[in-house]
Amino acid sequence: MRNYEIMFIVNPNTPEEEIDKINGQVESIITSGGGKVEKLEKMGKRRLAYEVEKQREGHYVLFVISANGDIIKECERRLRVMDAVIKYITVRTDEEVRRGEKIRAFRQKRAARRGSNRGGAPTQHSEEAMQ
Amino acid sequence: MKSAKEKRPAGQKQYYRRKKVCKFCVERIDSINYKDVKLLSQFVPERAKIMPRRISGVCSQHQRLLNDAIKKARNIALLPFSTE
Repeated sequence: MRNYEIMFIVNPNTPEEEIDKINGQVESIITSGGGKVEKLEKMGKRRLAYEVEKQREGHYVLFVISANGDIIKECERRLRVMDAVIKYITVRTDEEVRRGEKIRAFRQKRAARRGSNRGGAPTQHSEEAMQ
Repeated sequence: MKSAKEKRPAGQKQYYRRKKVCKFCVERIDSINYKDVKLLSQFVPERAKIMPRRISGVCSQHQRLLNDAIKKARNIALLPFSTE
């Protein structure tokens, strides 16, 4: 299982219930494939930075999920087919989270070393290495 | 030698260029999220191009992360590819 974020834009002219229906469909695809929806956020109506399918606005919806590749594939296929969805993006996030943890651990280690080794031998790693 | 005023031709202005620092290193920002439009838009000037490192002073590691984030944001219409 990997962590992903699926973000999609729904046509601004679709009613609120319709959006909920789409969200329900996406959710059922994820859960039926064995994935888990960690967060579902409706980000509301936003201005688009450029025109998409003749629209300048759109409802943004964000799913934070843990799933595998097959579920993502199915989700993307379904989103592509839906008429109300004008754009979508899937981003894998677990690698980024792991990277963040690594940096934080490194920083802690360095802080600890600095505290105990003040004025002593020079530290092994260069300071800019991880920044 | 910046301090040697006498050596400059008359009328030339003296520059003191401030050393640029990477915003992300200073503020200890590890990951740059593509959804954070407010942060990203600081690095996309008027023409919607990505600001080069030599101007913004961002370090290479963070510039790479920034690049990825801006490109993702463009893909989902949070940031423009270009201006009309």
